[in-house]
Amino acid sequence: MERFVIIGAGAAGISAAQVLRDFRPKDVVTVISTDEKVHSRCMLHKYLGHERDAQGINFVGADFFEKNDIVHISCETVKRIDTAAKTVFFGESYSAPYDKLLIATGSGFFIPPIPHFREAPNVFGFRDLSDALKIDEAFAKGRRVFIVGSGLVGLDAASALCERGAEITIAEMAPRVMPLQTDDYAASVYQKVFEDHGCKFLLGIGASDAVVDEAGNITEVILSNGEHIPCDFIIMAAGVRPRIQIALDSGIAAERAIQVDGHLRTSVPDVYAAGDCTGLSGVWPDAMAQGKAAARNMAGVDEAYPKPYPFKNTSNFFGVTMLSVGRLDLTEGADILVHKTPTEYKKAIVKDGRLTGYLSLGDISNHGLYLHLIRSGIDISGKLDKIFRLTFADFYGINEKNGEFAYSV
Amino acid sequence: MKRIFIEPAKCDGCKNCTLACMESHREDGGRGLYTLDLTDPANQSRNRILSDGKGGYLPIFCRHCDDPDCAGTCMSGALVKNQTTGLVDYDAEKCAACYMCVMACRYGVPAVSPDRKRMIKCDFCQHLEEGPACVRACPKKAIEVREV
Repeated sequence: MERFVIIGAGAAGISAAQVLRDFRPKDVVTVISTDEKVHSRCMLHKYLGHERDAQGINFVGADFFEKNDIVHISCETVKRIDTAAKTVFFGESYSAPYDKLLIATGSGFFIPPIPHFREAPNVFGFRDLSDALKIDEAFAKGRRVFIVGSGLVGLDAASALCERGAEITIAEMAPRVMPLQTDDYAASVYQKVFEDHGCKFLLGIGASDAVVDEAGNITEVILSNGEHIPCDFIIMAAGVRPRIQIALDSGIAAERAIQVDGHLRTSVPDVYAAGDCTGLSGVWPDAMAQGKAAARNMAGVDEAYPKPYPFKNTSNFFGVTMLSVGRLDLTEGADILVHKTPTEYKKAIVKDGRLTGYLSLGDISNHGLYLHLIRSGIDISGKLDKIFRLTFADFYGINEKNGEFAYSV
Repeated sequence: MKRIFIEPAKCDGCKNCTLACMESHREDGGRGLYTLDLTDPANQSRNRILSDGKGGYLPIFCRHCDDPDCAGTCMSGALVKNQTTGLVDYDAEKCAACYMCVMACRYGVPAVSPDRKRMIKCDFCQHLEEGPACVRACPKKAIEVREV
């Protein structure tokens, strides 16, 4: 009987636990998590917006651990791994021995070194359910919110709170909102819809200092142009960093992220890592795929994990939907094709007959093939005249054996 | 486990399958093609018959893939591969309408609902005892339910 221990109950940790249970029905699978409840980080705004409760943002059933006979040790943070004795240590004096270990600690929000920001008790991240709980508490006392960063996380928080009547100011260092996913036009559409809902944007400007009260709480953010913005609390959405402390403290190779090989093995035998903490990608589907691949390797299936293609996202704010795949910023030597109507905006970046970036704002139905075209580098040079109307019919093929589709190129 | 097998060469492009899908999933309580509002986006079909540009037709139906891109990307748990039936089940209550599934399906099957609060894809007509309406509507047997 083997003992599998997983640190973390996010997308990677939970998907790994499921796969291990499926492959090894009789072995012991244990998940140790700082989080009390399993929750989808991508759905925290539903909780903060009071649209759903904690169970409503659980991405597996409430009976997941019981049903799968998986031990869940919650509210405990692993402090140290003794890789020689193959044991993890957590809590006051608890330990769990393992035969195979998976580190799936995810990533944590990052606070830039702005004076007072790192110490102030009213500066929150928006990453875990515990962050959302703290914001909820703070919101009961004051409704003026200052959000640093207008990426998906910042806008998620803004959309949730403005529905509840918050007075929101969002500062973005870049000259437009959601700078990684948009171009200027798409950004202007989102900016307007947020402004129509009462949010205020400060673009191309950052916070450089703060005024604090006697308790150390920030009462005013001072911008780089000297302007003071009064606020009740601050949400940091200026990026995340892989959580690697446990690896650093345990002699597992890590720099900015935990180093893994093509089978998601770390530098220490029988210790694997998956998800955000590997730094390979920061999006949900890749964390799920890594969790599954790592688990299969832990279970003895020799499976290579191909490098993920991390540039992909969708957004849906106030019913404005957008799909953004590939690199919209790399346009040197590329053709930029644009299609614009009153209800739709599409943009394709094509280089050497291959799609390298695609943006669609409006109805994004049936758009999945664009990600595949980019990821697989499929030659579309003969199809540029209908680049915005491509469907699977243009690449149609059927796998005769199992009846699934297959690209024929 | 069952899958709708497709033989494109047999398809005449009559779109009876498309109408049958719309009829099977209409939410206005009515029955029968004569009262089906073909222009209402709420009645959109989950299958599509597209031209191959050479006089032939290419049916695009959800494959309920063995390793589904859509379920693999779902961050709410709304899309789940059912290991017993083989179908990719969808729970609209759980869905957060993030549309990562739309992005992930390499065959471009999932669609966005008109109110942008749900996704739309084939549910294998699990509400009908007799199975998928599209298959029964096809006069050419270009689509057929088979065991896999």
